[in-house]
Amino acid sequence: MFYFEKRKQISLKLKIAIPLISLLIGFIVGSVAILITGTNPLLVYKELFLNAFGSWYAFSETLVAATPLILISAGLIIVFKMSVWNIGAFGQYIMGAIFSSYFAIFLDPSIPKPLMLSIMIAASLIGGAVWALIPTLLKIFWEVNEVITTLLLNYVSLYILKFLMYGPWKNPTSYGFPLSKTFPDSAQLPILFGGYRLTIAFIFALLTILIVWFLLKKTRFGYEVRVIGDNPTAAKYAGINVNKNIIIAMAISGALAGLAGMSQVSGIIHFLQVKINADYGYASIIVAWISYLDPFLTLLASILFGGLSSGGYSIQISMRVSYGIVGLIESIVLFSLVGAQIFLNYKIRWKKHES
Amino acid sequence: MSHDIVTPLLSNAIKAGTILLLPTIGEIFSERAGILNLGVEGMMLIGAFFGFIVAKLTNNPYYGIIAGMAAGGIASLIHAFVCITLKGNQIVSGLALTIFGAGFTTFYGQSWINMNLSNPLKGLALPVLSKIPLIGPVLFNQDLIVYLSYLLTIILWIILYKTTIGLNLRAVGENAKAANSMGISVSKTRYFWTFFGGLMAGAGGAYLTVAYAPFWLDGITAGRGWIAVALVIFAMWDPIKAIFGAYLFGSINALQFQLQASGTSIPSAILNMMPYLVTFIVIVISSIIVKTKHIRPPKELGIPYFREEK
Repeated sequence: MFYFEKRKQISLKLKIAIPLISLLIGFIVGSVAILITGTNPLLVYKELFLNAFGSWYAFSETLVAATPLILISAGLIIVFKMSVWNIGAFGQYIMGAIFSSYFAIFLDPSIPKPLMLSIMIAASLIGGAVWALIPTLLKIFWEVNEVITTLLLNYVSLYILKFLMYGPWKNPTSYGFPLSKTFPDSAQLPILFGGYRLTIAFIFALLTILIVWFLLKKTRFGYEVRVIGDNPTAAKYAGINVNKNIIIAMAISGALAGLAGMSQVSGIIHFLQVKINADYGYASIIVAWISYLDPFLTLLASILFGGLSSGGYSIQISMRVSYGIVGLIESIVLFSLVGAQIFLNYKIRWKKHES
Repeated sequence: MSHDIVTPLLSNAIKAGTILLLPTIGEIFSERAGILNLGVEGMMLIGAFFGFIVAKLTNNPYYGIIAGMAAGGIASLIHAFVCITLKGNQIVSGLALTIFGAGFTTFYGQSWINMNLSNPLKGLALPVLSKIPLIGPVLFNQDLIVYLSYLLTIILWIILYKTTIGLNLRAVGENAKAANSMGISVSKTRYFWTFFGGLMAGAGGAYLTVAYAPFWLDGITAGRGWIAVALVIFAMWDPIKAIFGAYLFGSINALQFQLQASGTSIPSAILNMMPYLVTFIVIVISSIIVKTKHIRPPKELGIPYFREEK
């Protein structure tokens, strides 16, 4: 029989090895899945890699996909550190997109671009934060489980978006397609380099990483987050206002997810529609987890998963391999990580049966 | 409303409710053993997928149900291994299971999209019982799976509260250490009931594609797994109360389709939102009731058990 013995120190080697091995397992299981369909997994992975990192354009597309992942997971690491489970980034992303789109669609398009974009950004931050605060307040006042409420609100927001797209916000000249009218130039985020789709939102995302790092490592708030994460009861006795910190953390997390939604509609799609890649909300949970809730590792993991996502879309078109493979690989990586976490904190010891 | 509208409406409510009832009671038992499984949506999708394919290939809906159950059960073992043997975080592992189910069925489901079953599950009117006015046609003019789900819920209630198996199960979820010292294997109990939860989620998923909506669509469960997880709180971890929760939501589903079919002026997005919004409201209300009545989830729900730890 084996048993677990707590490690006194977490070894750096394992900390590096575990995510790498998890990724490897993810790709191995993925190749079995691809093999079953009669396709050569090595060709698929080669194509995936080339479409993610093989050229400057491919890499820029990877960063385009990484941008929302960075924004969302930067917020998630704060709440996850407190063991508060915001599974609602999907919905907060949608609400951010809806709130900001309102101004892009209905505000006078001739107002100056910086003003328009500032309004849209503010709206997206508020939209995401409000959507995150509903379950947070319910959790704090009545102990309503936030995992379930944030999740259910994902579906509610999706149908709000559908309602708007099939009804009041539908562009009358879109031949019946559920799209809003195209955003005026003043409501489109500026791109960084001509010929690429990467926008200024990527810079915001990098800044967010710095801000979250600063918040967590250099401020009282960050200290309190860590204490609450270690032991909420002890934190309460130490005079820390746990509820206040949870509210702040959830508001930040929701706001950043909202901003990610805005960056997508304003920077990439340029109109509002039902499919706005809200799945980034779920992928960000994996990104946050794979990076040990560390802001800089989150940046790295976001680029990696951004590549998986943009490469995944490309192989769907070029090789007719379903995008489902991305979710499959991601989930196996996540399983391996969660399972392997034990090796970080515990040594496995063997002992003979005593009878 | 006249009689010939109400009966099919309620009859459909039972069918739609069965899709939720099976996973809900499965999750109740898994949680009673201390394992939170947020992978219900993923296991239902896998069950729905294998249920559909096997029913299609064998032309036998019952084989479909069995295949869906088996697939859900196998999927649950990944979660069991990560959470019980490796003591992983149950919330994250459960989410991984849901992402896995969605990815898996999207990946392999492509070529099955929009195919129909030529032989979906058929009704079996029970003699005598189905002739009872009002209740008869609603409750006893159903298919075999519905009848089995009535029976199963009652048997499970008896197991949970009246037998040693149930006593041991509850002990494991409430105080694993004490249960272990009483000679109960915490791991085995948790494995068994997590697997059972997977079987039930798979059955619910398969019932969806083999009886209720006999075709395949990507993401066909559409969040029903999450509603099932929410219903566990509504049911306060009691299988009998789960029946009421599941049928209540079945009614909302059935009503929503009836309204849509009758050409109401309410936008379909709003109608489709109803189950989630109502679940949300019901969960808030039942959480408040749970709190004020001092009913609580199994004490060690979500907490891994280390036998050798002091």
